[in-house]
Amino acid sequence: MAKILIVDDEEHIRMLYQVELQEEGYEVITASDGHRLLERIDKEKPDLVVLDIKMAGYNGLDLLQEIRNRYYNLPVILCSAYDSFKRDIKSIAADFYVVKSSDLTQLKKTIARALESTVPPEGA
Amino acid sequence: MDYYEENPDGIRQADLVVGIPSYNEAALISFPTLQASLGLMQFFRGKKSVIINCDNHSQDGTKEAFFGTETEVPKIYLSTPEGVKGKGNNLRNLFKKVCDLQAEACIVVDADLKSITPRWIKHLGEPLFQDFGFVAPLYVRHKYDGTITNNIAYPLIRSVFGRRVRQPIGGDFGFSGKLAKLYLDHPLWDEKVAHFGIDIWMTITAISSNIPICQSYMGRPKIHKPKDPAADLGPMFRQVVGTIFSMMANLDRTWKAIRWSKPTAIFGFGLGEIELPPPVSVDKGALYRKFHQGEETFFPLWEEILEPENLSKLSEVLEMSQEPFDFPTDLWAKILFDFAIAYRDRGQQGEEILDSLIPLYYGKTYSFVLKTEEMSAQQAEEYIEDQCVVFEEARPYLDEKWGPSPS
Repeated sequence: MAKILIVDDEEHIRMLYQVELQEEGYEVITASDGHRLLERIDKEKPDLVVLDIKMAGYNGLDLLQEIRNRYYNLPVILCSAYDSFKRDIKSIAADFYVVKSSDLTQLKKTIARALESTVPPEGA
Repeated sequence: MDYYEENPDGIRQADLVVGIPSYNEAALISFPTLQASLGLMQFFRGKKSVIINCDNHSQDGTKEAFFGTETEVPKIYLSTPEGVKGKGNNLRNLFKKVCDLQAEACIVVDADLKSITPRWIKHLGEPLFQDFGFVAPLYVRHKYDGTITNNIAYPLIRSVFGRRVRQPIGGDFGFSGKLAKLYLDHPLWDEKVAHFGIDIWMTITAISSNIPICQSYMGRPKIHKPKDPAADLGPMFRQVVGTIFSMMANLDRTWKAIRWSKPTAIFGFGLGEIELPPPVSVDKGALYRKFHQGEETFFPLWEEILEPENLSKLSEVLEMSQEPFDFPTDLWAKILFDFAIAYRDRGQQGEEILDSLIPLYYGKTYSFVLKTEEMSAQQAEEYIEDQCVVFEEARPYLDEKWGPSPS
């Protein structure tokens, strides 16, 4: 069972994603902001991160760079209410970019695809 | 291959090398040489640095222009023997020299660069001292500058080798001393790699060797000698695409285990406002015309290379008028995959196979221009990303047609 970490500052989003993704058979853990996110990833070892961009006190795009530099192959899906952040060059360090919607079909499809990706680890 | 060397300062060891490959660049080489020196002094003052011009025995005074540029950093000139050309040959000499100097890191910048700043040296070099082994450039380019990159190299590397490196043939790179040794000892080396195939060879070798890669944001667009995609591009096309196909054949055990693609870490932000690249004009009529001229010459060979369903769809595209015109990306991906297989299986016909792909590339480029002509740079970029997804979705076709790897 793949473990997914949801990072989003809106509680109702975390709850919605948690319920829906658990129904899909995923183990879901959540974080309400970017505080000690790398430590959390180190400890929990998720298979995928769903990361909000605009969070109170945190910029998901900056968190993404920190994650990418440390966990080269960990899939990260940026999930934002705004599609305008796609224009920010930092967003290309994400595996995918999904615009938030109450219908999670696209997010679920993207998660499934991101978990399918297989590349050799760096330095292997 | 031996190289000729002039090393007036008697440099025997360096931590960091900037290499500038050239052939007859007397008019332009001074500028990148000076910027390299400024960058090394500003950002790598604690490192022992050297700038190396690796040249193809230019007769236009390139060496004199290089040595004539006043720099704080010492300089070395290397050259291939008279008559030996090729950027790859220049870089092979550079790999040797980097190993001899026991350098930790090497940066390569093109000799015709007009937009390089000292910060480019920082951005291409700094990640090499932070665990990355290979640094590819990331710069804003005009949507019609780099059509081989946009329509062939980037989507193929991404869909076959599984790593998203946006400028795999950017020409400006950073690599570690360890990777220089790996390059030097690598068994896959041929005449195409010795020429313009070298950039893509370096990128694919780094990816397939699982070297930690990052993309460094340069801030300014790459301004050099832009080329109209409709202009003659034969040798460069054959060398770049032939190298990709060769590496697909030689590394199939590596890439067949790969599914979908992964993004690459990015380095270098906070550069302020993004500068827009200069416009690149395209002769649309010439692209369409050259696509159809290819039909007259190469259709019998296309019949041999392409799977019947792809040939049938291509025939439909050939029947389209100049506008509306569309060359579907799914078809283009499958055509490239069919050509890669033909190139693997029919080695003696390799050059003819590549020549026959050029008109199809013109057709796809024409379609790309029509689709993106009203688009902003950002929209065109998103269109290219969407094309890459189509390539990745076509990958099962390649896996099926390619067959099992030799044991």
